[in-house]
Amino acid sequence: MTASHDHAAAPPPLPAEATEPAPQVETDIWQPLPTRARTLATITTLIGTVIPLGIALGVGLVASARQPSSFAIAGVLLLLVPAWTVWIARRRWLRTRWRLDDDGFGVRRGHMWRSDTRVPGNRVQHLDVRRGPLERAFGLATLIVHTAGTRNSAVALSGLDHMQAERLRDTLAARAARDDDHDDA
Amino acid sequence: MTTPEPAASEALLPEDRERRLHPASWLFVLLQNLRQFIVPLLVLLFAGGRRDDGYPWWLPMVGVGALVVVSIWQYLTFRYRIEDDRLIVRSGLLERSVRQIPYSRIHNVAIHQSLLHRLMGVAEVRLESAGGTRPEAQMRVLRLPEALALEQLIRDRGQAVHVGADAGPASTPAPAGITLLALSTWEVVKLGLISNRGMIVVAGAFALAFQALPDRMAGRLLVDYGREAFGYASGFAATWMAKGLVLLAVVGAALLLIRAFSVLLALLRYYGFRLQRQGRRLTVERGLLARSRSSVPRRRIQAWTMTEGVLHRLFARRTLDIDTASARGADGQGDAGAQRGLDALAPIAPPATCDAIVRDVALLPDWPPQAWRPLHPRAWQRLVIGDVLMTAIGCAVLVWFFQAWGTLALLWLPWSIFVARRHAARAGYAVDASLVAVREGWWTRHWRFAEVGKLQAVELRQSPLDRRYGMASVWCDTAGASPLATPLRLRLLPLAEAESIHATLAHRIARRPLRW
Repeated sequence: MTASHDHAAAPPPLPAEATEPAPQVETDIWQPLPTRARTLATITTLIGTVIPLGIALGVGLVASARQPSSFAIAGVLLLLVPAWTVWIARRRWLRTRWRLDDDGFGVRRGHMWRSDTRVPGNRVQHLDVRRGPLERAFGLATLIVHTAGTRNSAVALSGLDHMQAERLRDTLAARAARDDDHDDA
Repeated sequence: MTTPEPAASEALLPEDRERRLHPASWLFVLLQNLRQFIVPLLVLLFAGGRRDDGYPWWLPMVGVGALVVVSIWQYLTFRYRIEDDRLIVRSGLLERSVRQIPYSRIHNVAIHQSLLHRLMGVAEVRLESAGGTRPEAQMRVLRLPEALALEQLIRDRGQAVHVGADAGPASTPAPAGITLLALSTWEVVKLGLISNRGMIVVAGAFALAFQALPDRMAGRLLVDYGREAFGYASGFAATWMAKGLVLLAVVGAALLLIRAFSVLLALLRYYGFRLQRQGRRLTVERGLLARSRSSVPRRRIQAWTMTEGVLHRLFARRTLDIDTASARGADGQGDAGAQRGLDALAPIAPPATCDAIVRDVALLPDWPPQAWRPLHPRAWQRLVIGDVLMTAIGCAVLVWFFQAWGTLALLWLPWSIFVARRHAARAGYAVDASLVAVREGWWTRHWRFAEVGKLQAVELRQSPLDRRYGMASVWCDTAGASPLATPLRLRLLPLAEAESIHATLAHRIARRPLRW
C-alpha cells in the first residue's frame, strides 16, 4: 500500500476533521499503542519462545538420563524463560509511544536502550501500512515511514490500530504532498 | 580534457533529433563484455581439450562473434534525444525501453576516458540521479566534444530550472569556472605517501599469487626465500640482534614497497586534479592515463567529512570528502565504476584551503564554527569503560599463562585513560541555525558536518551506561552516507543538552523544505 495523494486538495493536516466529531489524529501527545497490541505481542512472544524452547528441552530430555531432577529443571525453565520474554515484550509495548505534531512524526521506544526518533513531515518520501495475518486478526497494522536517509531510511512502528495507522498515513502523505508543492526540485 | 568552450553546445547537439553513439562505440562495448568473459573464454581455449582430439578450437570464437553481433546491435538500438528539459534515452535489444531523465534530477555527470578512449578521442558519459545503484544512463561512447557539450547542456539546463526558486540572478548563461583547488604533482606524491592504498595492491598481489600460481608455488617460494634470507643473515651474523636487524630491513622494504605503490596509485588516480566551481556546479578532473571528469550541482552535496591522520599532520594537510545522494558505482563492472564518482572534493589540501572550499561551496559562511561545545565532563570515563573491561579480560588470560608477569598488561590502562582524556578534550560539536557539526578523534581526527536542510531524521539514543552517566547521543541521518563512514552523531552529551538539541533540530528540519 502506498501513500495516496488524493488528500492534497483537502485541508492538509486533518483531512476529514469537519465530518467526524472526534479529531482523527490527536496531536502533541505521546500516544500509547492499543491494548490489543499488548495481547498480540504476548501471544507472538509466547509462540516464539515456547515452541523452540519446548523442542530444545524435549530433545535434551530424550538424550539425557530421564531423572526427576532434570524434568523439574526443564519445567522451571519452561515457565521462567517465557515469563521473562513476555515481561520484556510487555515492557516494550508499554514503552513504545508515538506522536504526531506540527514538526512531524515521532516514535519513542526502548526500556534499556532508549531511542526517540523524529521524522519531520516534509522529509517523508513514502509510507506503507503493512498487515500480517495475525495483525489482521487483531485489527492492527504496521506503519512504515520512509525517508531519503541512510540509517533511518525506514522507521517502522508495529502494533498500531489499523484505522489509526491509515489515518496517520493519510495525514503524513497529505503533508508530504503539500510540502512538495512548495519544493522547487 | 579541458574546459569546454561555451558556445559549442548548441552547434554540437541540435535538439529534437535522435542521436546515436559514436560509430566505434560497439568496439568499446565489446571490449567491456570481453573483459567479463575473458576468463571463461581463455579456459575454453586452452583447457577445453587437446587439439589433436579434433577439438573444435574455433568454438570460443563463435562466442566472440556472438558478442560482436550483440555489441553492434546494442549500438544500433541505442538512441538519445535532447529535449528542452529532459533527455530521452531509447535502448534495449529485444525489450525496448524509453527513459526520460529531467536535467534537474541529474545529480552527477561523469565523463570517463580510459587510455584507449583518449587515443580515439571519445569518452564515456554516465548520468546519475539520486538513489539506486545503477546510473540513469550510460553512454558508451560519445565523441569527446559531444560529451563535454552534453555535460555543459545538463549543467545549464538543470540549473535554469532552479534559478527562479533559488533566488539567483535571472540568467547565468555560462559563468567562468573558478578553480578552487589544483594539485601539483608534488602534492599528489604527498597524497600517495599519506594514503595506504598501496597496501591493498600488495595484499591483492599476494592473494593473486596464491590463487593463480599452481600447486602452492607462491607459498613455497615465500617460505624458501624467507628461509634462505634468514640463513644468509645467520650466516654473516648469528646473533639475535643481527636477525632482528634483518627482520627490520624486510619490514622496512615491505613498507617502502607499499608506499611506492601508494604513490603510483595516487599519481594514476589524482594526477592533474582540479576542482572547479562553475556557477552552481562543481567539477572535478583527474587521472593520469585514464582521465575522468565528474560534475555535481553543489546543492546535491549531503554531508561533509574532513579527515586528518598523523601523516596528514606531518605534511600539514587534510582530506575533504563529500556524500552525494547519487548512485554509487557498484554496478557489477568492477571497481572502476566506484572510482568515477565525485568522492573527494580535496584529496589533499592545507587546512585553510579545505575551510575555504567549505565556505565557498557549502554556503556555510561561519565555517569553522566559532565555538565547539564540549562533551559531558565525564565523557572520558564513559569512553574508558570498554577498555577497562577488555584489559581486565586480557590481563586474566595473560596471568593464566605467564603468572605474575601477566599483570604487566595493566600498564595499558594509563595509556587508554590518557587517550580517552585526550579524545574527550578534543571532541566537540557545534549546532547552529544552518549547521550540525561534530569533531572527534585525537590521534586521527575527523570532522563531519551537514547543513540542517540536508538532515532527514534525528534520533535521540541512550544506552543503559549512558543513563548511568546522565548522557545521551543525537544521531542525525543524511542521504547518501556510506555505511562505512562515521555517522553524523553527537555522542556523550549531557542529557538535557542532547534533549534540547534533538527537539530544536526536529523543529528546524520541519521548517526547511527538503532540497536534495
